[in-house]
Amino acid sequence: MLEHALPAIEALLDPIRLAALFVGMAVGMIFGMLPGLGGVAAVSILLPFIYFLDDYTGLAMLLGAISVVYTADTITSVLIGAPGSPASAPTAIEGHALAKQGKAATALGVGFLASMVGGLLGALILLFAIPVAGPIVLALGTPELFMFAIVGLFFASSMLGKNLSRGLAAAFLGIFLGSVGPASADADFRFTFDQVYLLDGLSLTIVALGLFGVAEVISMLASGGGISRGEVPVTHWKDGFLEFLKHRWLIFRCALIGVFGGFVPAVGASASTWVAYGHAIRSSKEPKYFGKGDIRGVAAAEGANNATIISDLIPTLLFSVPGGPAAAIFLGALFSFGYYPGPRMITQNPELMFLIVWSVALASVIGAIICFLIAPALARLTKLPFALIAAPLVLVMVMGAYQSTSTMGDMFMLLLMGLIGWAMKHADWPRAPALVGFVLADPMEQYFWLSNQIHGWSWLMRPGVLIIIGLMLAPFIYRLWKSRFEKGEKVQDVEREKGLGSPVNLALSLTVLSLFTWAFFESLTYSPDSRLLPWLALIPGIPVTCFLLIRGYLCRERDKDLMPQSIKELPYLLSLGLYVFAIFIVGFSIATPPFVAWMLFSCAKMRIHTGLLYGTVICTLSFLLFSILRNGAPDGIFGPLI
Amino acid sequence: MAILSTAIFALEVSAGGHFKGKTIEIVVPFSPGGATFVSAKFLEPYLEKHLPGNPDINVVDRPGGGSILGANWFEKNAKSDGTTILFTTSSTANPFVLGKKGVAYRLADYRVAYSHPFSAVAYTSPDTGIKSASDIKKSKQPLVYGGISASASDLPGLLSFEVLGLDVKSVLGFKGRGPARLAFAQGETNLDYQFTPVYLTQVVPSVAEGKAVPLWTGGAVDANGNLRKRDPIAPDLPSVYEVYKNLYGKDPSGIEWDAFEAIASVTYAYGLTAYMHPDTPQDVLDAFAKAAAAINADPEFQKESKKVTNGARLSAGPATEKAVKSALSASPEVKKYLRELLSTKFGVKF
Repeated sequence: MLEHALPAIEALLDPIRLAALFVGMAVGMIFGMLPGLGGVAAVSILLPFIYFLDDYTGLAMLLGAISVVYTADTITSVLIGAPGSPASAPTAIEGHALAKQGKAATALGVGFLASMVGGLLGALILLFAIPVAGPIVLALGTPELFMFAIVGLFFASSMLGKNLSRGLAAAFLGIFLGSVGPASADADFRFTFDQVYLLDGLSLTIVALGLFGVAEVISMLASGGGISRGEVPVTHWKDGFLEFLKHRWLIFRCALIGVFGGFVPAVGASASTWVAYGHAIRSSKEPKYFGKGDIRGVAAAEGANNATIISDLIPTLLFSVPGGPAAAIFLGALFSFGYYPGPRMITQNPELMFLIVWSVALASVIGAIICFLIAPALARLTKLPFALIAAPLVLVMVMGAYQSTSTMGDMFMLLLMGLIGWAMKHADWPRAPALVGFVLADPMEQYFWLSNQIHGWSWLMRPGVLIIIGLMLAPFIYRLWKSRFEKGEKVQDVEREKGLGSPVNLALSLTVLSLFTWAFFESLTYSPDSRLLPWLALIPGIPVTCFLLIRGYLCRERDKDLMPQSIKELPYLLSLGLYVFAIFIVGFSIATPPFVAWMLFSCAKMRIHTGLLYGTVICTLSFLLFSILRNGAPDGIFGPLI
Repeated sequence: MAILSTAIFALEVSAGGHFKGKTIEIVVPFSPGGATFVSAKFLEPYLEKHLPGNPDINVVDRPGGGSILGANWFEKNAKSDGTTILFTTSSTANPFVLGKKGVAYRLADYRVAYSHPFSAVAYTSPDTGIKSASDIKKSKQPLVYGGISASASDLPGLLSFEVLGLDVKSVLGFKGRGPARLAFAQGETNLDYQFTPVYLTQVVPSVAEGKAVPLWTGGAVDANGNLRKRDPIAPDLPSVYEVYKNLYGKDPSGIEWDAFEAIASVTYAYGLTAYMHPDTPQDVLDAFAKAAAAINADPEFQKESKKVTNGARLSAGPATEKAVKSALSASPEVKKYLRELLSTKFGVKF
């Protein structure tokens, strides 16, 4: 088989194919950097063009895009704090906190190198594991897949943060959001208010953008200064390399987690990224820096997410079962070129297999190098008033959200999730557990249901299941046993309870409590099987939010002054809401120019000439991008009449 | 000037007129990369080549709501000149036939431009001791079928079990036919249906290795419009009709068979159908019927389709439209039977 390695690299080094690979990489990097638009959007945009190319050239173009998305998204996550794609949310948490401390170069350097390692490991495993991977994938029945979801949830418990009740409430909110939509086997459609839009459940892109991205944009509009109050210096790459070498084994382990996440169909890059991040926290001796800018969080997440998207290709090539959404489109492209991946692929098309591996490896390395080259220039952008960057970002997020169904529902959902994310940020609820809960809710329910349907309860005694339970509990028990001899630092009660009585926290706790209570009564009308997942969130969620509300009410006097920032940002949030409603009424093309004008002149205080020029450029680019994305911008109810 | 305009006029006439310089938008209500999207892209160059005026074809995905969102979009936005097409499967047709909530499209009123079969093959595990379709009632193990959702593309498969009177445990809730096939390979299920391209490339090798036993196909529509013929994609395998006749010694009949025939026709025989606005003029439809015939005769199409679908052909014209429309307009008894079966046996709520 190895005799095909050289012909394949020769085939790839053909100038036209290399050019296609680079075009794919360029598109992948741009979409990786744009929040809300990621691998799926990049690959779908390229898809129509590959039909004009020969098979190897077209596939190389797609692979170029797939391989760099999770490298380039690091830039946005670190510099702006809005995740460039859902799977880099941990990078946005840790990397952005580091950027605020002036360590953006370190965060970016580690992120790029970890992404590269993840990509290369993915490529290596793609090459050598295919003969081995078959039996492994086939050894994993639905009960084992269910246990993996539980492992993910278990790891997520390390992200709950300093205040347990707020962390739990956030996690339950995430699981609840994940239960919206079809129950197993479509027996019930939960919490859909009879809206067709909700029949498929909520889109991960929109939930991630809303929870993390919108709140950042709002505070950018409201502030106006830079990230670390001035220029973010991205010059000293040395620290990045040193940190990378220091954490090489962590990155390697996380890349393995990522590869494994790719192996298993239906576990996306987001889930394995969170598992890797949780692993980094668990394996750390001083986990208290996580959430405040710990480079290990960046290393773990970036090592994992790139490895996952590459090894998503393993089940795709081995069984024609795509490991993730971008891999699904890649599979479609393979079909179109007349390749039907399956167990015989390696013997029938060895050269194609090598072409895929080489493309991925080459793109991973060159992608990281390009990121190193462009990051300093992009970091200089952060010197600009923040509202200047926020303006195009808002448009891109709206566009990204609109890709999931191309209906107004996407816009409203982005606004709603943005409102929740904003309130969580100001009420000091950690947003990571909410996203993890959301990501894992679906596989958890699906595999639990299938396991019970196929095996009854006997699946609990399957050897694979017992091994996973053992591996999960062993370090936990070890730690518990060890901690009997050590006295841990006690976090001060005052710090833990800070902000509990703030009006935002009171309002959020009350809203979530009411939502949970309503949902509980609503869930009584569902069949017992469909109630399980929501009840997992609601039954513990109701007392926790109740507790938050009561504790908050008792401290309301102490914390009543803790909200100037929230009050200051409120008008910006309302304006964003107004913009979405304006899109609904008159359409994107009429609503956007006034909104952009407001952002540029009122928020960023631009001068009239430069503002007009800049505004025209971003409006034109957004219309252009919408038309490239094929579905066109939303028209609004009265838009076509005007 | 006059000469020039005459020349342009002549050019248009000689090109056949309809779609010169126009763009036809083919809306696929599923994600790109899915089987429907791939099929639409597969047909795209042939339609561009054989439709009069060589229009530009633009395949657009509008996923969501299990295809209902995209079909509802089509209902609101389709143009009636044949430049907007809804290309979809039984996942759109079944909710319409069942009258599910949220369906705003009038599928049975739409014109049918062309249609492509989307056949499926049933197969079982050798561990059941079953050697061929005639042994199906003698399984050594309880039969377990893995599927996605009773009211979508699994429906004809589940109805075939009803017609044949099989005791099958149906485990629904997989996220796709791929994961369901993996569960079969893992031994968690032992009865499965797969659509043609996947059957040919993934299951046929397993049959050769002795890991799968092919059983039957849904069948193909005969000259009288009945779903009785063997499916040309797997001519060695009996149709469900034949299996029944073989098991029970008589023709299948009754409400189970009527329901199966209606649902299986729109799922398999007319599995991928291109719909147009109800007011589309007849000459546009005729142009598509002509193009479909030309595509079927195109040696390149024949060569490529041999690889993918074992040589399936497009169908179009009045007979096809009549068959699709009659399958979509199931009788009230069939609808009632389906709704009752789904709600009592599979817990589907309406």
